[in-house]
Amino acid sequence: MTESAGSTATDTRIGLATEGLTKRYGGVTAVDGASVQFHHGKVNALIGPNGSGKTTFFNCVTGMIKPDSGRATYLGDDITGKASHRIARAGIGRSFQLCRIFPRMTVMENMLVAVRSTSLRHVLAPSRSAGELDRARELLARVGIDHLENSEARDISYGQQKLLELAGVLMADPETIMLDEPAGGVNPALIDRIASLVRDLNAEGKTFLIVEHNMELVMSLSDHVVVFDRGRQICEGPPSVVQNDPRVLEAYLGI
Amino acid sequence: MRNASDPTSDSTSDPTSDSTSDPTSDPTVRTDAGSRGRAVLLAKGIGLLVLAAAVLSFPSLAPDAFILSVGVVIMSYAVLATSWNFVGGFTGYISLGHAAYSGLGAYATALLVIHTSLNPWVAMLLGGLLVAALAVPIGIASLRVRGASFVIVSIAMVLILLLVFQSWGEVTGGSNGLRVPRPFDESVLRPEQHERFFYLHVALLAVALLTWWAIDRSRFGTGLKAIREDEDKAQSLGVPTFNYKLVAFIVSAFFTALGGGMYALWFGFLDPIFQFSILVGSYMVLMSLLGGIRSLFGPLLGAVIVGYAVEFFKNQYGDTQFHLVAMGLLLGIVVLFMPDGIIPALSSLINRFSPQAASIREVSAGELAEQRRAAASEGKDLDATEAEPTDSLPEGAKR
Ligand SMILES: Nc1ncnc2c1ncn2[C@@H]1O[C@H](COP(=O)(O)OP(=O)(O)O)[C@@H](O)[C@H]1O
Ligand SMILES: [Mg+2]
Repeated sequence: MTESAGSTATDTRIGLATEGLTKRYGGVTAVDGASVQFHHGKVNALIGPNGSGKTTFFNCVTGMIKPDSGRATYLGDDITGKASHRIARAGIGRSFQLCRIFPRMTVMENMLVAVRSTSLRHVLAPSRSAGELDRARELLARVGIDHLENSEARDISYGQQKLLELAGVLMADPETIMLDEPAGGVNPALIDRIASLVRDLNAEGKTFLIVEHNMELVMSLSDHVVVFDRGRQICEGPPSVVQNDPRVLEAYLGI
Repeated sequence: MRNASDPTSDSTSDPTSDSTSDPTSDPTVRTDAGSRGRAVLLAKGIGLLVLAAAVLSFPSLAPDAFILSVGVVIMSYAVLATSWNFVGGFTGYISLGHAAYSGLGAYATALLVIHTSLNPWVAMLLGGLLVAALAVPIGIASLRVRGASFVIVSIAMVLILLLVFQSWGEVTGGSNGLRVPRPFDESVLRPEQHERFFYLHVALLAVALLTWWAIDRSRFGTGLKAIREDEDKAQSLGVPTFNYKLVAFIVSAFFTALGGGMYALWFGFLDPIFQFSILVGSYMVLMSLLGGIRSLFGPLLGAVIVGYAVEFFKNQYGDTQFHLVAMGLLLGIVVLFMPDGIIPALSSLINRFSPQAASIREVSAGELAEQRRAAASEGKDLDATEAEPTDSLPEGAKR
């Protein structure tokens, strides 16, 4: 996998990649032999019509569900079928399409869930250590919800919950961050805030893999775009090229 | 008090926002967090002392041996419910068959005392460890399923044990029961026995509570609570959910078994039908739910109320099934009107009447005005919102 990367572009390293990844639900093949490569250190976008298998692809790659066949690798290491907490600790964090937070815990407690090590000392240490609290407050301030630290997560607005989910993922310090529709159901001002967060974090070295329907956002944010249709990649490349690809227009318009 | 300049605070997507716009949380009231923290700590310390004093003075206040024995029963239930809460409260996995572990602990202790020359208290501890070891394979098998399936597996477990202990007569005494030698010699009279066992149960309860408290504040505890809220999400954040659940389960089984063992030494007689009873397991659940499974002292409070009520009904109306009906009603009332239990219901009531507690954030009016000005100068359309009030509860969330 990595050898072929060198031939496409000199500065491209392959981070997350799949080969023939397949997941069926009864008669529906949600992901149908997807072979995809994402660029490490870049902002990657995964787009495609509704039901084209993007969320299922995310779930297969992050260990939430087991693929029926095919392989997934991360920086050359096989991660196929690994449990999701192992994939998380391999450095891949993710958000969910319908924002998932811990509704009956406070915003701060939500931040303290992420586990970075399974050493007994780390696990049995008080979760509210000064160091952890500082780290959490810094990230909450970064996404702009530090004033809500003591609120129950279910009491804050949906937009704030989305920011909390992102901050909670960042607590695990992942090097790759997968976001499933980060701009879905939030207002334009917040979309701007999320976009600039992604840009800043990417500048600090984080890789992004973003599923998104907001084309304006995808085109302005991403370095590399992969287009899905019916569970597999139909096209990939820089946003300007993908935008004008006839196969993409067909997938979106001609059903 | 929501910050009006915050683009995330679209009120349409926040049905609960009025709960924070309480007039008492006026941003101009800037509370001194440090002194408030100290006051809360002091109040908690005093509360703890009062609780300890009340519990420890019970034997000297009890008018007769019968009331004293009711006290022992209640403390025994408190140990069992608190032990149950290591699994039920932290992870949200509701086990109705926890009598399996109290029963096994009771029989293990009794059989060790009868067949070996071990000191009874060492036997009790060894019994607890044996049950904890047994909880490893049981946990590995049963914690793979969630929700109703887990409940059913836990019930199946206790029914299987009931049959085994009833039919394995030559070891367990079967339905004839098993007599357990007393740990104190004959010169110690019954009221004195009750008093000693009352304090022994309180000591065991204190150890269980201390362990619960230590877990509660650890990263492990935060992980367990996250499992209760949304197990898959917790795992996606790196929490090794299965191992966490298993450890909580083993700790729970260990303390439940110690509770069973201590009961065996006190009561002196074991019958499988009472030891491996769905009713005992249901009491642990009811007591914990009533007091509040998220609270350290919830199961204890529930045990005092339910334990007292059960003994009251038995005393008043004889050993009829009436107390079962009453317990059923009580459970219904709790689930309908106080789904979080008494302690959270009480503390939210106190919070409502306390002037400071409603302020969830400390921003002065000056800062607010500042932020508003900043937002206005950026010219953002603050009211623009596309947010739908999407259900923030994921499918995986357990409650
Ligand atoms: N849990 C499931 N059970 C059955 N079918 C599913 C399930 N999840 C997804 N699907 C189906 O798989 C296909 C892909 O869905 P999804 O991955 O959610 O697409 P996208 O995220 O691209 O909109 C759809 O046809 C959907 O109905
Ligand atoms: Mg989707």
